[in-house]
Amino acid sequence: MNWTSFLAFTRGPLFYAALLIFIAGMVYRLARVVALGWERDRVKSRGSKLAGAIRSYLKGILIWPFIPWVKNTFSRNPLIYVAGGLFHLGLFVVVFLGAAHMLVWKSLLGFGWPTLPLPIVDWLAVVCIAAMIVLFINRLVHPVLKLISGPAEWLNLLFVFLPMISGYILTHHLFFRYEMAYSLHMLAVDWLLIWIPLSRISHFMFYFFARAIHGAQFGKRAVAP
Amino acid sequence: MTEETIYQRLKAAGISRRDFLKACGGLAAVMGLQGAPPVAASGLPAHLARGGNPAPLIARALATKPRVPVIWLEFQDCAGCSEALTRSHNPTLVDLVLKEITVEYHETLSAAAGFQVEEAKQAAMKKYAGQYVLVVEGSIPDDGIYCTVGGRSALEILKEAAAGAAAIIATGNCSSFGGLPKANPNPTGARGVWEIIKDKPVVNIAGCPAIPEAFTGTVAHFLVFGALPELDELHRPKAFYGNTVHDRCLRRPFYEAGKFALTFDDEGARKGWCLYKLGCKGPTTYNACAGIKWDGGLSFPIQSGHPCLGCSQPGFWDGGGFYQGQSAPIGRPGIGVAAAAAGIGLVAGAGIAVANQAQKRAGGNT
Repeated sequence: MNWTSFLAFTRGPLFYAALLIFIAGMVYRLARVVALGWERDRVKSRGSKLAGAIRSYLKGILIWPFIPWVKNTFSRNPLIYVAGGLFHLGLFVVVFLGAAHMLVWKSLLGFGWPTLPLPIVDWLAVVCIAAMIVLFINRLVHPVLKLISGPAEWLNLLFVFLPMISGYILTHHLFFRYEMAYSLHMLAVDWLLIWIPLSRISHFMFYFFARAIHGAQFGKRAVAP
Repeated sequence: MTEETIYQRLKAAGISRRDFLKACGGLAAVMGLQGAPPVAASGLPAHLARGGNPAPLIARALATKPRVPVIWLEFQDCAGCSEALTRSHNPTLVDLVLKEITVEYHETLSAAAGFQVEEAKQAAMKKYAGQYVLVVEGSIPDDGIYCTVGGRSALEILKEAAAGAAAIIATGNCSSFGGLPKANPNPTGARGVWEIIKDKPVVNIAGCPAIPEAFTGTVAHFLVFGALPELDELHRPKAFYGNTVHDRCLRRPFYEAGKFALTFDDEGARKGWCLYKLGCKGPTTYNACAGIKWDGGLSFPIQSGHPCLGCSQPGFWDGGGFYQGQSAPIGRPGIGVAAAAAGIGLVAGAGIAVANQAQKRAGGNT
């Protein structure tokens, strides 16, 4: 087996299988969470659930970039708060607004969208990778975080780090031949797709449900935190 | 009687010493020779030989060596590689190679036909046993029912001819990697030569068609050095397949700047921006298109506004579509398969949840 055929394997059958496992896994997780049951809320309604949910989403979007100081997390540990935010921002831009990744979405969904110039995406990828290193060191030295970090936490970091770093190497044609770097990137991505439903990285989906449900509860009780 | 050397023949044909040396320089350039490789041609021990201008060494080799006999076999092909070679706009080099290699057998170019030409092939194979270069064009099917010449299967003919060959040159994607005949579902069980012949040196001049200069350069290398050039892991000469099309592309700066043509008729296309988003396979395609170009250096597909198809790579027909982005997955689940996967997840999740609740109820209020 040479790298060219290995690339065809990681882009073809392996990606196909990983994507199906990802879909099945995420639906499985969602079904399990939904089936945990809904407590009947007998409290008399004092406000709008919908307004609460919208308010909750807006807070999620607006606080980090514009008014971070209202959060305790920020005032107590600004470095980590900023690093975590930049990591998510970089990841979002790379995955959705990078030209190469948009073409992946286009082939899967059937439609595309405008992308950012490579240098911008590239710098945000660097920011994202740097943020991950900061978060890694923090986890390594923070006494409390160290206590509550099991293998899953370290592996989560590693399995997100691998696609990022291999993608950076791929974009810049560093160290390896292109098809080799490409294969390694695809291998890391395929593994991440399988890993996400099994891990807490699935918060990318549950985040939106949690925001909506908590927001609705706050809205109903007319308590705006 | 000693055989006539190549230079003697050229002189007899009215080619001056000056033109001969010019052609030698051209050959050296085409072969991508710089200082070091001619050391091998000088015949001196490595510690005595010095790299230098390769043209005189080639001239010396051509002036002292006899012609190379060639047997050219065609199987599941379109003769496009032969066409590209004979219509190449680099007549000096091609003449030099085509005339100075003795093509003993070529189905498309031979004047003779039928049993006559088959007999001539047998005679040539006997006469030049162990010396001739076997050129193969077109893929080889699995068994005898798809491609037969003179009542014999392609596989049989190839094995017979390969047995007496000094080296084998597979020209074009079909004979290198299977090409179009191998495209899914590969009804004939087509394969490339190097998958069948393991005991002879095989060099793949991949491409659809192969770049004529890559072919002539490789033959010239064999002519001068008596051996095949340095090859990559897919048996392609590194001199021509050492860089990707993307690496040498004239539109590369637009890729770096993120300026892409989005359709074949938008502003970007008219301004000559990068064709990556139109499905260009340049980044994973190793070929000399962007350097040597076609038609005597006139242009090549990307320069003319069409994305690279990746025709010098194995399996390029099954790469997920010529106009689909190069980064896109090769195979993707349809809506039905994706829904089935989601259904499996849903059933498993709901099933386990129900089982858990039943267990809870059975166990009382714990």
